[in-house]
Amino acid sequence: MTPLIYSTLIISLGIGTTLTFASTHWYLAWMGIEINTLAIIPLMTQSHSPRATEATTKYFFAQATASATLLFAATSNAFFTGSWDILQTNNPLTYTLMTLALAMKIGLAPLHSWMPEVMQGLTLLTGLILSTWQKLAPFCLIYQIQPHSPNLFMALGLLSIVAGGWGGFNQVQLRKILAYSSIAHLGWMVLILSFSPPLTLVAFSTYLMMTFSLFYSFMMTKTTHINSLSTSWAKIPTLTALTPLILLSLGGLPPLTGFLPKWMILQELTKQDLALVAVLAALFSLFSLYFYLRLSYAMTLTMPPNNPAGTLPWRLNPSHNTLPP
Amino acid sequence: MSYLMCVLLLGLVLGLVAVASNPSPYFAAMGLVVVAGVGCGVLVGTGGCFLSLVLFLIYLGGMLVVFAYSAAMAAEPFPEGWGSWPTLRLVGGYLVGVAVARGLLGKNWYEEDWSGFDSILGLTVLRGDVGGVSLMYSSGGWLLMGGGWVLLLTLFVVLELTRGLGRGALRAV
Repeated sequence: MTPLIYSTLIISLGIGTTLTFASTHWYLAWMGIEINTLAIIPLMTQSHSPRATEATTKYFFAQATASATLLFAATSNAFFTGSWDILQTNNPLTYTLMTLALAMKIGLAPLHSWMPEVMQGLTLLTGLILSTWQKLAPFCLIYQIQPHSPNLFMALGLLSIVAGGWGGFNQVQLRKILAYSSIAHLGWMVLILSFSPPLTLVAFSTYLMMTFSLFYSFMMTKTTHINSLSTSWAKIPTLTALTPLILLSLGGLPPLTGFLPKWMILQELTKQDLALVAVLAALFSLFSLYFYLRLSYAMTLTMPPNNPAGTLPWRLNPSHNTLPP
Repeated sequence: MSYLMCVLLLGLVLGLVAVASNPSPYFAAMGLVVVAGVGCGVLVGTGGCFLSLVLFLIYLGGMLVVFAYSAAMAAEPFPEGWGSWPTLRLVGGYLVGVAVARGLLGKNWYEEDWSGFDSILGLTVLRGDVGGVSLMYSSGGWLLMGGGWVLLLTLFVVLELTRGLGRGALRAV
């Protein structure tokens, strides 16, 4: 891709999210989301393979459907309440429709089926942008919708924790595992949204940092499968030692940072007299912990069979920089 | 006037059925032309005459013409019209769906509950949306530029996607 086009697309990604963050009118917020969707499409087809094109097409269909539903909900809200203000969503029909449209945009269950297949067809860098940056703008809108009852958010959240954990159980492809981990974490965020929005932001920011680190460590060792992960221990020994910490942090084990949002969310849920929801969320997160543990088992804790030359890459000069490519 | 609106809305729904029942692109494009034309009529009836004009020019006269040419290039020997069984089954299904929707929602969707652009009775030249057009160029200038940027971005995106002929992202595999 020519540098001019590449920079135009990256700048448009920035413009889109900034526009959604800065807007109080539903049209402008929707416009920012559409700019994001449009700008990332050529970035996804960069590798010019049929799999990438298939992933791009699936992503476009899912996002276009969600955007159309969001626009319809915003227009219906203007019809019923007379206001285009994002914070004036009083009609139950419209805020439910908006929530579902935005849930499809970020990949919450039960509208999550596009996520693993789309992530599988992308390079790790594009998958990183999809998992982190593309979630910011719709999440900003979800944060501002003020529903009258927490039921929908809790249902979406709990279903996402279940789907993200259970779905990632049998995966060996790292990008699919990361997709399911993203679904589960978004579920935790949305679960607590109607009770304590600051906790949602805590969960989101820790998720961003952890996912970025994990994606980036996979990018440095250029691994996309558990098989290649298991023989990558010799490439960058420091990374081999540190990646389990990232994985266990994603799994939510103390004393790592990933435990903090889960702890606070469980505490807030019990304060709201929702102990059963808290127990279910914690139990289904054990599924996610299982596949994170499996990844660290394959990478660090065991040494799968390899030829002797496979133990030597760390001796060579690094072919990469430590700054992002 | 009310009868004309009823006919136009009926044409809109039938055109929707015609397109969604999945015929060959030739016939689907014809369905789209009918829907666009009738939709423009509905817009004029509710006071959006400038919008209707723009829709006719750009959508029908620009995008649909290009689509019709592309469909003509992708010719198939036995195009499926609305008489072929698979399409006819879908047409029947969608008509049933329309009847069900009419039964469920039919009470409040008459024309008198519509809020148009203005409350002028009759078809004059200056209706409600002309004021909006002038606003778009004056105090809505930034939004106009934003909209222009999005269109330019779409152009770049499409050009980037279709670049490369046999080696690009979109190719016959």
